[in-house]
Amino acid sequence: MTLRFGYGTNGFANHRLDEALRVIADLGYTGVALTLDHAHLDPFADDVAAETTRVAGLLDRLGLSVVVETGARFLLDPLRKHHPTLVSADPAARIDFLLRAGRIAAELGADCVSFWSGVAPSDVDDETAWSRLAEGVEAVLSDGALAEAGVRYALEPEPGHFVQHVEQALELRRTLGSPERLGITLDVGHCVAVEPVSAAECVRKAGELLFNVQLDDMLPGVHEHLEFGEGRLDLVETVAALAEVGYPGLAAIELPRHSHAAPDVARRGIAALRAAEWISSARRDIAADPVKIRTLFPSAGRMAGRSVPEGSGLIEGTVDDKARVNLLAALPPADLAAEITALYRYGDGAERRGVLRGLHLLPDDAVETGLRLVEDALRANDTGLVAAALGPFAARHLDAHTWRHGVLKCLFTGVPLAAVSGLAERTDEELIRMVTDYAAERRAAGRAIPADAEAMIKEATA
Amino acid sequence: MRIFDPHIHMTSRTTGDYEAMYAAGVRALVEPAFWLGQPRTSVGSFVDYFDGLIGWERFRAAQFGIRHHCTIALNPKEANDPRCTEVLDLLPRYLAKDGVVAVGEVGYDSMTEAEEKAFTRQLALAVEHDLPVLVHTPHRDKLAGTKRTLDVVADSGIAPDRVVVDHLNELTVGIVADSGCWMGFSIYPDTKMDEQRMVAILREYGTDRMLVNSAADWGRSDPLKTHATGTAMLEAGFSESAVDTVLWSNPVAFYGKSGKLMLDPFPGDEDSAATFEGNSVLRGARA
Repeated sequence: MTLRFGYGTNGFANHRLDEALRVIADLGYTGVALTLDHAHLDPFADDVAAETTRVAGLLDRLGLSVVVETGARFLLDPLRKHHPTLVSADPAARIDFLLRAGRIAAELGADCVSFWSGVAPSDVDDETAWSRLAEGVEAVLSDGALAEAGVRYALEPEPGHFVQHVEQALELRRTLGSPERLGITLDVGHCVAVEPVSAAECVRKAGELLFNVQLDDMLPGVHEHLEFGEGRLDLVETVAALAEVGYPGLAAIELPRHSHAAPDVARRGIAALRAAEWISSARRDIAADPVKIRTLFPSAGRMAGRSVPEGSGLIEGTVDDKARVNLLAALPPADLAAEITALYRYGDGAERRGVLRGLHLLPDDAVETGLRLVEDALRANDTGLVAAALGPFAARHLDAHTWRHGVLKCLFTGVPLAAVSGLAERTDEELIRMVTDYAAERRAAGRAIPADAEAMIKEATA
Repeated sequence: MRIFDPHIHMTSRTTGDYEAMYAAGVRALVEPAFWLGQPRTSVGSFVDYFDGLIGWERFRAAQFGIRHHCTIALNPKEANDPRCTEVLDLLPRYLAKDGVVAVGEVGYDSMTEAEEKAFTRQLALAVEHDLPVLVHTPHRDKLAGTKRTLDVVADSGIAPDRVVVDHLNELTVGIVADSGCWMGFSIYPDTKMDEQRMVAILREYGTDRMLVNSAADWGRSDPLKTHATGTAMLEAGFSESAVDTVLWSNPVAFYGKSGKLMLDPFPGDEDSAATFEGNSVLRGARA
């Protein structure tokens, strides 16, 4: 199953709506999360009905499906962000807005209207907030015309808001008698920031009640929307979970603070999503039929990208290195042990790096197999192979003599020692002696001494 | 004149050739897997050769500003040696690799049963891996061999527009044109085709589905014959756009069917200190 990927217009706040939609469609997205706002289909404008019809036509021509988002910052109150909310003392303006959004959603043929609870005022206890929220949601859902039109609403747990966990959103739904038209919006970055389990686990937990998905990366405990790869989200696992539960809706990137560079950010976003989708589907194929890895492994650079995230890629590995390790991890351990030597033998330089960076996945009875490959790589002059060979597997299994020579080879060939796993733990007197002699030899020849070598000697003599 | 040589064996050529090719306008090429002068006697020999095609040779070409792609196959001549045929089992690994833009060269050399078996099996691999095919036609008994080739291609079920039948001449071009396959011509100093005869064929058959190559290898051959053909076309009154169609757009369209061409231009400032597995090509500092 192919997922529908979209982009949120709140990440295109510096674009006219029509132009934002065209850019999003041109980049290959098939949907859009449309945040109603002053400059983007203002629900309070006099001509909103005609404008909605026009935008519906444009979306149709561009082949974009749509979700209506209601998180605009100053749409209801020019002074107070997000105010009023469903947990405010007087939530009427918010309810009215959500009903307007529902009518627009009906006209656009949107999947749903997404909304959040809002932050509970400091002077309001949980019980009051809960009943305000329940009443507000009930009021929205009881609108006859919208019920008739089948407009669905999706509650989004939002960090810092009254409802910030998936579990709370599900509980509210149960409290209201599990209305069919009420579901969940899941922001996968929020899961990293505040949920006790992974985004993939949240996807499974919400299951069929998942009406809307927002995609972004985040760091634990920090509610800051980041591009993929900048936080701790496991994008492949998340995309795999969406496919696994058969999620039929839109999954749209949510980067509301990246409008200043929207087209470039959106271009990177769709590339990362396609890569993740390819890896996740390749993993399924490999799990079902292990020999598939023989042809998928070489394709990983082309399908999942090969750019170097930061620096030279010698330390962390390149994008395709990570993709290949992900494919290796999909093999059952016995099959991994059986395939890995041939993957290395028939691999080009990039494939060999991928194998080396995945050796820690080998089962204990295949350690010898892994050691032969590390030894081969350490005989090479390709710095990418040397760096990849000295990962966690070598740190754990390589004999002291070979490991020391590997470290010395890094100094010789310009591989930063940060690429060597377990360096501090495995550094011994003999290695210090070798590095000291190496430095002396360089000095005698009037050559510069690598900074890493100097640092190691300095630390040993401190 | 920008040139994509769709068939040239750079493994047998010098860095001087690369320089001359770049100066003549060659910016991309395809190196088909074929036999070397000395017969191979083991599968390992093929593997090292394939590794060279996707590794060292691509790197070497890049040092001279030329994008190098290759095709992978068991060639017809060595399909007759049972010590070599086991390489067929390894082909899927290589067909999946970046820059491998077709299955080839396959086809007939002496029209033996073993050749036909390898040919048929590799046509099936092309279908399975969604790759175009480069078919070599025999030097001896060429017309009969080309007819037989077209029958085998038709029986395989592969779409004819995903097949190029190569080393054609005045006597074989007609039946290939009718088959819907692409037509390849190797321009040589003495044998095969020359540039004047090529121009005459282009006059008669047009530029559609036409590929012109130098097929330069370890024998007497000339990697600049693509350029010479372009010049002959211009002298004969063909437009620059027609030359560009034959020498660039056509090979890009044909091998582009693989989805694996790598034609992004090199960064303006090529790093002259680059190495491939520790070996450099340029030897010595550049000014």
